[in-house]
Amino acid sequence: MPPLLEVSNLTTHIRTRRGVVRAVDGVSFTLEEGETLGLVGESGCGKSMTGLSVMGLLPRGGSIVGDSSVRLGGRELVGLPESDLRRVRGNEIAMVFQDPMSALDPTKTIGHQVAESVLLHRGGTRAEAADRAAEVLGLVGLPHPRERLGDYPHQLSGGLRQRVLIAMALVNEPKVLIADEPTTALDVTIQAQILDLLADLRARLRMAMILITHDMGVTAGHTDRVNVMYAGRIAESAGTGPLFRAMRHPYTQSLLASVPRLDRGPTGQLPTIPGLPPDLTDPPSGCRFAARCQYATDRCRTAEPELTGPATHRYACWHPTDGPRPAEPVDTPMDVEVVLPAQAAAVASAAVAERPVLEARDLVREFPVRGSWLPGRERRVVHALSGVSLTIGHGETLGIVGESGCGKTTLGRLLVGLDRPDSGTVTLDGTDLGRLRGRELRQRRRDLQMMFQDPFSSLDPRMRVGSILREPLQIQGLGTTSEQRERVAELLAEVGLPAHAADLYPHEFSGGQRQRVGLARALALTPKLIVADEPVSALDVSVRAQVLNLMRGLQVSHGLSYVVISHDLAVVRYLADRIGVMYLGRMVEVGSADDIHLRAAHPYTAGLLKAVPVPDPDVERAKHGAGVRGELPSPLAPPSGCRFRTRCPLAQDLCALEEPTPRLFATGHTAACHFPLQTPLPDASPALTGDPA
Amino acid sequence: MTAYLVRRIGQAVVVVLGVMVLTFFMIHMVPGSAARATLGTRATAERIAMFNAAYGLDKPLSTQFLTFVEQAARGNFGTSYSMQQPVSTLIAQRLPRDGLLLGLSTLLALAIALPMGIYQAVRRGRIADHVFTVVSFVLYSMPDFFFALVLIAVFSVQFHLLPSEAPQAESVGGILADPQGLVLPVVTLTLVSLAGFSRYMRASALTTLAQDYVQVARSKGLPERLVLRRHVLRNSMLPVITILGLSAPSIVAGAVIAESVFNYPGMGLLFYQAATSKDYPIMLGSTLVVGVATVLGSLFADIAYSLLDPRIRYVDA
Repeated sequence: MPPLLEVSNLTTHIRTRRGVVRAVDGVSFTLEEGETLGLVGESGCGKSMTGLSVMGLLPRGGSIVGDSSVRLGGRELVGLPESDLRRVRGNEIAMVFQDPMSALDPTKTIGHQVAESVLLHRGGTRAEAADRAAEVLGLVGLPHPRERLGDYPHQLSGGLRQRVLIAMALVNEPKVLIADEPTTALDVTIQAQILDLLADLRARLRMAMILITHDMGVTAGHTDRVNVMYAGRIAESAGTGPLFRAMRHPYTQSLLASVPRLDRGPTGQLPTIPGLPPDLTDPPSGCRFAARCQYATDRCRTAEPELTGPATHRYACWHPTDGPRPAEPVDTPMDVEVVLPAQAAAVASAAVAERPVLEARDLVREFPVRGSWLPGRERRVVHALSGVSLTIGHGETLGIVGESGCGKTTLGRLLVGLDRPDSGTVTLDGTDLGRLRGRELRQRRRDLQMMFQDPFSSLDPRMRVGSILREPLQIQGLGTTSEQRERVAELLAEVGLPAHAADLYPHEFSGGQRQRVGLARALALTPKLIVADEPVSALDVSVRAQVLNLMRGLQVSHGLSYVVISHDLAVVRYLADRIGVMYLGRMVEVGSADDIHLRAAHPYTAGLLKAVPVPDPDVERAKHGAGVRGELPSPLAPPSGCRFRTRCPLAQDLCALEEPTPRLFATGHTAACHFPLQTPLPDASPALTGDPA
Repeated sequence: MTAYLVRRIGQAVVVVLGVMVLTFFMIHMVPGSAARATLGTRATAERIAMFNAAYGLDKPLSTQFLTFVEQAARGNFGTSYSMQQPVSTLIAQRLPRDGLLLGLSTLLALAIALPMGIYQAVRRGRIADHVFTVVSFVLYSMPDFFFALVLIAVFSVQFHLLPSEAPQAESVGGILADPQGLVLPVVTLTLVSLAGFSRYMRASALTTLAQDYVQVARSKGLPERLVLRRHVLRNSMLPVITILGLSAPSIVAGAVIAESVFNYPGMGLLFYQAATSKDYPIMLGSTLVVGVATVLGSLFADIAYSLLDPRIRYVDA
């Protein structure tokens, strides 16, 4: 009997103005019933294009060429007329896309969108299709599916929308489900729920699944076999366990090594993969990874390795490695001093005690809902921040984590003075920012800079990098033109960009390089504090490590303080000395990185940590249940008492009645919970110790 | 929805009042007097004084304005100096004619532009797209009287297929009884507005086609025709709705050139004649009508928006 899905020598070319992109180049794999195959790699490696090619959904200019073959149950799909392919799509092979926010038609009800597939492939009446839609929406965990058929996508949260998309894909019980980064756009808590749902449905419906992802943690926990892709080809193909334990390809090894790990203590410099993937309009002649590989020899640069090895573990490499890289890297590609956060933390906590750089007290920020000033309407506000206090010492990094909507970005904006609190104060070196106006405020802004998430939209596309970096100096009137130019050159060197970068425009850089420009811009005024809002979440894994290393290096050389805001707990753990966990406008727990990771006191912190996928199959398989159930309640009407109680496994009546006050668990470790997971220090309220939570 | 409508109507009243104030005072800033323009250059000072007294033009401007507003509120826009008929009667005669002509041509233009824009977007960069683009720009850059004359030359003079004159009946029913006469003027005005609509539709459809939900629709196995009809069309129409709302005032303002070429006296000619003869009541009356149409047009656009896009439903939720 032939395998359920057999892809052999799949080659997809895309004609563009720059030439023909060989997006997928001779990819072969099989998929058996009930199995999950991971397609793993960085952006542009061809993993999504492989999925789209199987579906026959190619972008403009795309075509499947050569002797490519995609067989579903023995039936060849390549070359099938469009009308026949349409009968396969959404019926025998279905797809779930990445971004639930944009993957649903905003003008159609969800019932209509799910029923559309049923009517198309199964026929029947509209009422029957609606029944089926409700049934499947219930199956994917949409509460009260029948009543919600008439809902529009914008009425649902991201997590629920992804459930609707999954329902759309499953409604005809396909044999193969292709999930393309199904949880990348979601919070970790929701990600864990959705991944569990997919695994459960796959088992119940006896489906096979192709899981396309860049996340090694997701791969470890949710795949049976993995194809690691690089530059349009499969670099390594193995069972998930063997791949993580004994990878043979240096790319797999580097990829895994460069991920910041939540389950490991603080490490030194993250190993990085230098350089960028090759241009697929003109791929190199030898091994495609050779230019970035530390083991590469002349042979690698001239002859391309084929997939070899036993059928269960194949790899394309002339110099296969044996298992993961040792924990401490021998050579680091960048000559930045390695500083362990533990050391920094020691320095930092001394600094905090001495004199904080920045201090925020009882910050409250509320945004009125549009139109609610009208007579006859209830005045409604979004409670973005409800009394948050924190301190940041010299040279310290404070990480802020929490789900989207918890107020962490609002907090960041208040800290750098881009927005003003409704009440509460932000004090910089003893000066209350709220009292500064005009020129004084402008001058103070030097000390507080911001680094943004999206390296594509945070740099003006019509300004040269030189002008972007000079602008803050010009605004502050620092130095003559030639001094400013010198400073620009200095900044570029500091962030590891060549001097001629000053004459280029942002679009001429890669994402990682742009983020370096963003960092240089933040550094231009030699600030005391940089607030980095999701500094690496838009970057690929290998590039992410480069930027993280750079941020840490610059912190040491400049004595900078950072506030790192991120939903990625591993990134925060890597950078931060202390971590604050936010939930729905409140700071629920603050402590040293170790306090948070090893001795979390708040059930929310513990749940959040549990939800983070760890790139280790054994750890991932041992987990049971999602870390945090349900979704974030609306910040328009936060729950009474403890705001987390609606999702908390330990909640009792008291939690609804009384708001918990922060309690001290160790020096600098506070959490606001009635039923904490750790024992609080006896009779020591944080107010007495002088350390605000 | 009620609160929303109340707010919009409040806005409308303010806008229309503003239009009235501006027009009133700007008209009176134009040098030359209405009396001179109506009675001729040889009129005696006595007759001019009589004229001014008869129409209240001898009073201070502010008093004149208040009188005008007070009368307008009762639906009385005064009597035309030159035509000696109530302005409301004149507008009631002319407005439906333009509504018919421009309404028909706008609908026709939309009916062509929407599919054309989507078709171009789908075939982006191919020959068909380029051809339609060139045609659009040619149409866009040509003046309407030129179309009108070419169409008349070909269809009336050369082939005697269609009359060169629009229907002369007074009522809408009478005009519709002679549909042949409407063909050339409607076609002329359609060609004029076609280009704008189709360019907007093309740009908007391009954006929609790049959305994930279009790819999702394809991944369900929907035929491309249905993908376009169900998921692309409605989502692409929003920007066109804005343009449509903005074009509402031009529907009631008339089309001077087409009206004169096809001898179809409408609002455009009425205003033109009033402006040349300083016929204040007509000028004020038509401006008011255009002002109201502007407000209604944008209200219409907003309501259409909310019908097309559930994200912008104006409900008290």
